[in-house]
Amino acid sequence: MAGKDSEQEFKELVSEFVGRGGGYYAERFLRISESEGRVAHFNPWALAFGPVWLGGRSLWAAFWAAFIVEAFALVLIGIGWFGDLGSEVLAKAERLEAQAAERMERAEAAIAEGDSLGENMKRSAEAIAGAAEKARAEAAAMRGSAPRYLAWGFAVLLAVRVACAAFGDAALARRFRRWRANRAITHGLPPQRVLFAAALTAFSYALTVYRFTAAEIPSWMTEFPAATEIRNAVSISIDEGVRSVADGLGFMFNSVTAGINGVLNLMEVCLVSTPWPVVMLGILAIAWQVAGPRVAIFSSAALAYLAVLGFWEKSMATVALLGTAAFLCIAIGIPIGIWCGRNPRVYAIIRPILDFMQTMPAFVYLIPVVAFFGIGKPPGIIATLVFGMPPVVRLTALGISGVPAEIREAATAYGADRRFLLFKVDIPLAMPSIMAGVNQTLLMCLSMVVIASLIGAKGLGEDVLSALQYAAVGQGILAGFAILMCAIVLDRIVQGRAPD
Amino acid sequence: MPLDGAEQATDDVVRLESVWKIFGARADEALTAAKSGVDKPDILREFDCVVGVADASLTVRRGEIFCVMGLSGSGKSTLVRHVNRLLEPTAGRVLIEGEDILAKSDAELRRIRATRVGMVFQNFGLLPHRTVRENVSLPLEIQGATLKRQYDSAEAALAKVELAGWGDRSPASLSGGMRQRVGLARALAADPPILLMDEPFSALDPLIRRQLQDQFLQLSKEVRKTTMFITHDLDEAIRIGTRIAIMKDGVIVQIGTPDEIIRNPADDYVAEFVANIPG
Repeated sequence: MAGKDSEQEFKELVSEFVGRGGGYYAERFLRISESEGRVAHFNPWALAFGPVWLGGRSLWAAFWAAFIVEAFALVLIGIGWFGDLGSEVLAKAERLEAQAAERMERAEAAIAEGDSLGENMKRSAEAIAGAAEKARAEAAAMRGSAPRYLAWGFAVLLAVRVACAAFGDAALARRFRRWRANRAITHGLPPQRVLFAAALTAFSYALTVYRFTAAEIPSWMTEFPAATEIRNAVSISIDEGVRSVADGLGFMFNSVTAGINGVLNLMEVCLVSTPWPVVMLGILAIAWQVAGPRVAIFSSAALAYLAVLGFWEKSMATVALLGTAAFLCIAIGIPIGIWCGRNPRVYAIIRPILDFMQTMPAFVYLIPVVAFFGIGKPPGIIATLVFGMPPVVRLTALGISGVPAEIREAATAYGADRRFLLFKVDIPLAMPSIMAGVNQTLLMCLSMVVIASLIGAKGLGEDVLSALQYAAVGQGILAGFAILMCAIVLDRIVQGRAPD
Repeated sequence: MPLDGAEQATDDVVRLESVWKIFGARADEALTAAKSGVDKPDILREFDCVVGVADASLTVRRGEIFCVMGLSGSGKSTLVRHVNRLLEPTAGRVLIEGEDILAKSDAELRRIRATRVGMVFQNFGLLPHRTVRENVSLPLEIQGATLKRQYDSAEAALAKVELAGWGDRSPASLSGGMRQRVGLARALAADPPILLMDEPFSALDPLIRRQLQDQFLQLSKEVRKTTMFITHDLDEAIRIGTRIAIMKDGVIVQIGTPDEIIRNPADDYVAEFVANIPG
């Protein structure tokens, strides 16, 4: 019979998977696969060994959950059993009693001498004695609560084990199904894994219970014996390295600064030095043409906010600053993104750098930026670049790598060269994604203006910063809104395609 | 079309001579093994290489429609991509009108692709951001033709596939059958002597497929292109093909006219195929 054969095969497969207890598990797995709901059944081995069983069976996720709860339970038991509950309170009570007795003695002596303060002294001594009594009662109560700790500890421990036993088979069955599809995943019950799980739990439990129950614990247990001298030495050598690079490559940093200044000056001439009616009209007209009348109306409201409240010059300076940063981000980021999109190996190298750029707190790279470029607007732009570039690179790479291979093949089949493929196929098809990246980059650049103002990049960020320093809530909120207005107008103009 | 003496002398428009294509990093070692008779599964296991095409030789004569028929994975699409060198063969020779394609420089190869070989793809391969006309005129644009010539050629090609007046639409607004006609128009736009059609009608529903087959046959008589037509459908191959090559596992099992193949199947594999063909 085929059924018999397949059953036999199933049994062998389960035996191979579990390594030990094949008969039991074959029967259990079969039962689990046949039952519609959950079948209540307790695996005696899981009940007996809990996390060690889970670890030995490679069910590590469950292992860690059970491990943590069980450690907690053991700590409770440890406190209940060996813990010196209330010992501190008791010591305090004894101290107070001694103090009360001494004061009482002195008060009595004073009364005997006829001192007028004697009565007062006696009263204070009685008060201390009362406190001592209260402390003693508290200590007794705490000592009395030890059985409660014990009970809770055992209850939690039992709950963990019961859970292991109840869900262990199902979890193992799930792993078995995964193993059938991929034989490479760990299976069986090799002694070294059991040993590892057992050692891990024993070691951790012992240390943890000791930490929470012992009256006095060695300091190495609570604090890692850190080698601060290594940190100092490394940070000093970094200092020196940065200094020597700043000295040695000064001309290079200067030329970068000069380049950034060139773009920035152009932007500032356009936005700041040009008479404000021209700039305003220009922005509104562009908003109308690019994104339609609604955005134009919104933009005029936003610009009115900026102008009426006196943020105009500052916001134009800010937009020039971030415009320069965003322009450089895009000019550098899109080619890198295209390169990454076409070449997965390059992307594998670039991606961690992008992660680094995005996750490194801005304050950390402000320091070397200041060391290399001094303070002012260009270093502010460089700090903004670091933060703002990743999205445009990522989304460009995503868009380029998402261009269907068939379409590229079709163009190639008609004789397209690399240039044609890039400019007429890849970039147009990736354009939505690239524009999303540009948009993200713009907003991230804007979010850096406050931080950039820390190193002397003037603009709206400066206002927010000084409001922060003087706790001027109103000023801060108004300046913050001004930044928001700039952001929204820019975003809408860059993003918006008017339906023509 | 300029034809020099050497080209006129040969009527063999496309010629593949024992072409091998092996995919994988160790293709050369695998090739040696495969030539000495090692099985495909063994080659996959030993060299981590896949044999796409094994020792394929064929000749397509001027003006004929040469069908390559095989099931998916039989290497027919891989084979046809060697004609315009979208794929480099691991070994063998590829000749177009007597010229060795493999000896061409990149620039010459692009020139050949743009002027002498038109290709139609199963999933159309149209550029979604361009209008139908801009798609059709693509080969001419790549050649660097004037805008006027691009426009005129595109209109002429669209008229041939009965899509005159659709030039300003976007491909997305067209049905599947119409899109493939755009693909065909694109292949005809530069008036190349050779057409490569890689399962052009497979993605279409049976009714439209039948219509397009008829339309293509009609058109083929008018324009007289040398065509390599890839299909997985023996009915289609028999309807359309002047001659048919049947492929299995990267190997050409039999080449012959539809009649020959139906009458004298070379082996059981072919026989099983033709068993369902009436008459």
